[in-house]
Amino acid sequence: MTDALIGQRVPKLDAPSKAAGKTIYGHDVRLPSMLHGRILYSRYAHAKIIRMDTSRAEKLRGVKCVLTPKDNPPHRFGYGKDNKPFKDIARSLRDEIAGVVATDADIAEEALSLIEVDYELLPNIFSPREALSEGALLIHPEHKSNLFQRYNYSHGDLAQGESESAVVVEEKFLLPYVSHVCMETSVVVAQFDHRDHLTLWSTTQIPFLLQRDLSEALGIPGSNVRIIQTAVGGAFGRGLDIYPYEPIAALMSRKTGQPVRVAFSREEEFLAGPARQPAEVTVRAGAKADGTLTFRDASCMLDIGAYVSWGTVTPLVMMETTASLYQVPHARFTADCVYTNNLITGAMRGYGNPQSTFFIETLMDRLAEALKMDPVNFRIMNANVPNSETPQGLVITSCGLKECLEAVAASADSARMNVYPERSRRNEGGRLVLSEVEGMTVTANIKPSPFNLQPPHIKRGIGFASTLNVGGGARIYRSDGCGATVKVDDFGHVTLVTGSTEIGQGSETALAQIVAQTLGVKIENITVLNSDTDIKPWDVGVHASRTTFIAGNAAYLAAVDARNQIFETAAQLLGVGVDQLSASAGQVTVRDEAGKSISLEQVARRRHFKEGGKVILGEGWYDPPTQLVDKDTYKGNISAAYGFGAQMAEVEVDIETGKVRVLRLACANDVGHAINPMAVEGQIEGGAQMGLGYALTEELIVKDGKVLNPDLLDYRLFTSADMPIIETRIIETDDPGGPFGAKGVGEMGGTPTAAAIANAIYDAVGVRMTQLPMTPERVLAALDEKEKRARV
Amino acid sequence: MNSFDHFTPATLTEALSILAERNGNASIIAGGTDLLLRVKNHIVKPAAVLNVKRVPELRALSFDSNEGLRVGALTTLRDLTRSPLIRDCYPVLASAAGLMASEQIRSLATLGGNLCNASPSADLAPPLIALDAVACLVSLSSERQIPLAEFFTGPGRSVLQKGELLKEIIVPPPQGKTAYLKHSPRAFMDIAIVGAAVRIQQQGGKCQQARIVLGAVAPTPLRVRSGEESLEGQTLTSEVIRQAAKISAESCSPISDVRSAAWYRKRMVEVLVRRGIEATL
Ligand SMILES: Cc1cc2nc3c(=O)[nH]c(=O)nc-3n(C[C@H](O)[C@H](O)[C@H](O)COP(=O)(O)OP(=O)(O)OC[C@H]3O[C@@H](n4cnc5c(N)ncnc54)[C@H](O)[C@@H]3O)c2cc1C
Repeated sequence: MTDALIGQRVPKLDAPSKAAGKTIYGHDVRLPSMLHGRILYSRYAHAKIIRMDTSRAEKLRGVKCVLTPKDNPPHRFGYGKDNKPFKDIARSLRDEIAGVVATDADIAEEALSLIEVDYELLPNIFSPREALSEGALLIHPEHKSNLFQRYNYSHGDLAQGESESAVVVEEKFLLPYVSHVCMETSVVVAQFDHRDHLTLWSTTQIPFLLQRDLSEALGIPGSNVRIIQTAVGGAFGRGLDIYPYEPIAALMSRKTGQPVRVAFSREEEFLAGPARQPAEVTVRAGAKADGTLTFRDASCMLDIGAYVSWGTVTPLVMMETTASLYQVPHARFTADCVYTNNLITGAMRGYGNPQSTFFIETLMDRLAEALKMDPVNFRIMNANVPNSETPQGLVITSCGLKECLEAVAASADSARMNVYPERSRRNEGGRLVLSEVEGMTVTANIKPSPFNLQPPHIKRGIGFASTLNVGGGARIYRSDGCGATVKVDDFGHVTLVTGSTEIGQGSETALAQIVAQTLGVKIENITVLNSDTDIKPWDVGVHASRTTFIAGNAAYLAAVDARNQIFETAAQLLGVGVDQLSASAGQVTVRDEAGKSISLEQVARRRHFKEGGKVILGEGWYDPPTQLVDKDTYKGNISAAYGFGAQMAEVEVDIETGKVRVLRLACANDVGHAINPMAVEGQIEGGAQMGLGYALTEELIVKDGKVLNPDLLDYRLFTSADMPIIETRIIETDDPGGPFGAKGVGEMGGTPTAAAIANAIYDAVGVRMTQLPMTPERVLAALDEKEKRARV
Repeated sequence: MNSFDHFTPATLTEALSILAERNGNASIIAGGTDLLLRVKNHIVKPAAVLNVKRVPELRALSFDSNEGLRVGALTTLRDLTRSPLIRDCYPVLASAAGLMASEQIRSLATLGGNLCNASPSADLAPPLIALDAVACLVSLSSERQIPLAEFFTGPGRSVLQKGELLKEIIVPPPQGKTAYLKHSPRAFMDIAIVGAAVRIQQQGGKCQQARIVLGAVAPTPLRVRSGEESLEGQTLTSEVIRQAAKISAESCSPISDVRSAAWYRKRMVEVLVRRGIEATL
């Protein structure tokens, strides 16, 4: 294989059309005679609907119909089977209680205000503690307890771990609600046809599970549900579940006999979309005098809101970080997932890992400090190693954690020497000049002031954190598989049909590279189809950084199958043995016989065009050799490979305002093998942007079940102007199970960021931040507290 | 769904006639970066919208060393950041405008809109008040000038009467040095949690005249006269500066909201006023 496409910086195949504004997103879908649906949400967080009068709404011109709980099919749906399209008992302020279909969205919106509702108020429960207290009202009486689930994991012997410890540290952490804030808000178009088959244009991440979920919710066979995935304007875990608006759109379409579109406003997205679970966490950890880790003990309380989602499974990942990031001989992890009358929560990029990495890596820093050890050396001496198994049962194949730490330590050295990288390192995606104000050029990179010109109220510090993340799928459903087919046509053009989903992460491009490399064709000769459940083979969904590994392996198998078919025919045509052939540059060539070759298209035609001819159609199914965790012990090898990473944050803290500026974020990631280094960098930089927001600015402020900042002014994302210099380093360890050695990287970019920044803040000003986000106000309060303690 | 009449007058008289006819029940639109959000969120439901962008009389931008600066209501924030005149004579206005919103919004948003919207956190109000700016208000029947410090009457409220609009702002010739500091969590695209403008005019090593004006800590921009007085006539030692900063913090009673707790706003007033004074030295 000469023309090495693997490892090339291939621009994303979907980028030009996105840049030109020609991509069809969910919000762009318009069908003939399409109607618009809007949803009425409950006025109270916990209330029984005792009367609803829809007559005025129905009379409004342009209104087609109004739907109420009476229109519900008899079934419950969702991960916890606790949800219905419309509720007659509202359990949160985002509970759907009615819907209007009209000829346009504004009319539907106006009609909502004409629906009269009488409520009977029920007591509210807004804190998990209260929800678990004796005699607390049950939010879902059929569930018998407000505790949806308790995770209880342990390995080793904690008491022994404690007794062997020279140092023990303990801390309490508070983690906020955050939102995915996809650029594209939630949207769906539903259409029932004359056969009573449903087609749904959707931004889901789980088309095949959604098929099943919808069939359950609507009481129709799964075979009657077709999901067409539009281009997705951001997902990050938001699309990992069924949400009520999806069956609602379907019910609206069925009732009107016309296609119906339901599209969220930005405010609705914040109020009714899922958020990352807030949590209260207590962690203890210890180490021996020589730095060897002895034990970890974490207990978490998660507020999952009024309905369960796949997000309720995130403790599995928090558990993994607690038990298996670094070598931990004794560990315990418990988590309570508790129903409240707060907003719904769901899966979000990292799936518990940003949370757990924040608390675990903060404690790692405290241990290093207590031991007076260098934080990097301390981490390296306890690091996971290749070809090992953790007590939790994770089988670690390739592992570059040590190399990642060494790489970011090198960045720390340049930070200490006040050396900054060249501004535009490269022209593709190089840092842009944003604006010029008063002769000052403001770039997307923060420009650090030289040390000697720094005013005395500015303190600098650096901090480190690592991450462990599944990198070879994650078996949380009975199959973690993906199917693929590869067809070669009579022009030599190749079509990959993959079960996997493109959500902007660049999987289409990576999969095309894998197939092109295997068949020896140019990337331009590949088309990737991945958006229709009637066409593509099954896949569990896009999550857990799994697509390159799992769908990559499936695509590779399908391409090898197609190549075998090509070689079979080519061998006959060339009169040589199959084992003498290789494929490159669109040709099948005979090895060691210069000039003897045949083009791919010729092979295809010769194979097709005859009686008894055959198509070139390769198929692949890949389900990794992993296990569901044991339902009692939670042990088991959930992934076929594990990714590792480390980050170094360099920060400036203004001790008078508490404001933290991140100057530099160095990110090193063991990705096995980078199929497309540019895409890997994009994933890490994008992940870092989310990690920076989680660390410093993002929080859905929720009071009495109500979101107080449902807009992009007061819910603060990191903008390009806030972004630090990001140094990405790719560490390659060539995983034996990955396609061309690759492992997943989709989530790791933002996972260690909050911890690295918190540790840098400590290095700068000596305060431990244990609540996210680390806003100026919280940092200043912590500085005040420190001063107060010093005075006593 | 809400339909409204839309007018695009070509002269000031035409604009004022429409305003008078509608008895004040017409929303003036300039850049629209405040108004349209409020229309979309159903906070205002205008019966008529009066687009003043074609009115040439609102576009003044001239400087006279005796009278000072005349800057029309339609001057955009981008104009403020770029105009050589502003940058040379009133650099604080250019830098304050440069801290606002984003390049795209700054190209639309106007000075008049920022002031007439009367948000307590409007970034142009504190520096203009510190510069002793005067607002020129016109209606069909009258024209009046009032100090900008007296223009604001509450959040979203000003002394503008029915039928009246803001024509321009007059800023006296620059005296001393002025600084505006804005505290917000993000570098750009953020609203002031506290804004502080300071103007210091010194003579013979003593402070002759001082202005301290705060944004986002009261229903209207707040001039801290006691703080100013503590500076005037004094040599500006660090002790004197600290004292003025402290007085400023004590003389305001900000609210707690999703953006900040009251105690933090007070602390920021103290920090920004001190740094603001230091920046003028
Ligand atoms: C993303 C974003 C970021 C922003 N960032 C900032 C920021 O950092 N700091 C800040 O202070 N503001 C900010 N703003 C608010 C806004 O952009 C400014 O206040 C802007 O200057 C308003 O000007 P405009 O021309 O768009 O006003 P418009 O929306 O056109 O008008 C605002 C109000 O003033 C009235 N009005 C306008 N002109 C006149 C006149 N000549 N006479 C009488 N009444 C008039 C209108 O009727 C309306 O009530 C931001 C807004 C957005 C959308």
